[in-house]
Amino acid sequence: MVKSLSGTMKRKAHRSLVAMTVAATLMGGCAVNDTGAAEVWDPIETPNRFMFSINRAVDIMALRPVAVIYRDWVPEPAQKSIRNLLDNLGEPVTAINEVVQGDPNRAATTMARFLVNSTIGVAGLFDVATMLGLERTKEDAGKTIGLYAGVEPENGGFYLMLPVIGPSNARDGTGLMMDYLADPFRILTFNLAVNWDVWQGARYGMNVIDYRSRTIFALDDLEKNSVDYYAAMRSAYTQNRADLIRQKREKTDARSELERRDNLALVR
Amino acid sequence: MSLLAFRRVILRLAAVAAATVFVLPAVAQPVSAADASKLIETVAAEVIEIVKTKTGADRQAAIRKVLQANFDLPFMGRSALGRYWNGASETQRSRFLAAVETAEARAYSERFGQYAGQTVTVGKVTSRPNGVSIVDSQLNQTNGQPIKLQWEVRNGGQGPLITDVKVEGVSMVMTRRSDFSSYIQNNGGTVEPLIQELEARAAR
Repeated sequence: MVKSLSGTMKRKAHRSLVAMTVAATLMGGCAVNDTGAAEVWDPIETPNRFMFSINRAVDIMALRPVAVIYRDWVPEPAQKSIRNLLDNLGEPVTAINEVVQGDPNRAATTMARFLVNSTIGVAGLFDVATMLGLERTKEDAGKTIGLYAGVEPENGGFYLMLPVIGPSNARDGTGLMMDYLADPFRILTFNLAVNWDVWQGARYGMNVIDYRSRTIFALDDLEKNSVDYYAAMRSAYTQNRADLIRQKREKTDARSELERRDNLALVR
Repeated sequence: MSLLAFRRVILRLAAVAAATVFVLPAVAQPVSAADASKLIETVAAEVIEIVKTKTGADRQAAIRKVLQANFDLPFMGRSALGRYWNGASETQRSRFLAAVETAEARAYSERFGQYAGQTVTVGKVTSRPNGVSIVDSQLNQTNGQPIKLQWEVRNGGQGPLITDVKVEGVSMVMTRRSDFSSYIQNNGGTVEPLIQELEARAAR
């Protein structure tokens, strides 16, 4: 009885070990073949490309024109104030992430920024905090996960093309969801306002237009100078996110981007 | 986990083997930090001058000259083609490099044009054991956050030359490489369609 039990346990342990190894191989699929985001792990490329083409159609017909009008017609101080307002609403999420990232001092600074800008800065329209020497940081849960995940920051799980939002991956998509759920403003408007969806819709809509207006040149450049826009964007997104995570890690992690590049030079 | 480590070891061994076979003749000589940052400063000054004084085709021609003089374009092209370089014939390689040069000259001339009136501050230089120097710099915008620029400088035998530019962590060569490799995979797995596409674009 005892023998057979231990046998089953052993078999079970063995099986779970195999499962773990398989899982690790699957998850590390792109880490093993890591060639500096030249080959991003993209197992659902076909649906991703489909979503990408829809996004592009929406972008060409609606988003980009609106962003261009916003950039060229709205006076710059107004754009700046809108930016400040949206940034200010995002500060609590940044602070939460900074706490999770193990940097409570930075989180305190972010909350100080939030309090100063929400009051003296007239509900966040003016960034008084920066003038007072409280520098702005932007954190999201994707970066937080990336900080703790024991893999190359180029490896964010499978690549994912989200509707409207655009390029993402398993890591950043999860992060986006977590940030959305943790966002005090979303919870607050949900509880207080009668038409919370209008307020939230306006906020996310403005965020999209503002972000798009600031990426017009970079994305036009990427599109014009690539033979496969989808692949170029996939690589650029992965590299940019990896760079942000690496900056977070660099304080603690000795294995840096440079060391990785040296190994890459060998593969070239 | 052990399988993962094993695969890593194998990959690394393969990389070392590949390096001894293919890359050995092109071993880089070390570049001094002063040389590397001087190169970036010179290039930045030249480009700012060109953007200030020239427009249109003149600007593109001038930028192309700066690229030819200060960038290791064959090396960049080769890196961008990745593993497909070895499969390409001698004529394909030279056609590819010519087309890439035209494309890059056009791209950089537009890119730099956008940054008119802005300044570049050169920061610290990191020398790597494989002879590559990474020069950190910042593009100071008139409005908005400064943009992080990193330059990879390498001496492949013709003095220190720029082999890559990273904008906010996005390497131009790596992005090209990913772009090209995906195009090749979607077009029959050979370099010929890619070269034809690049040549068609260059002629435009």
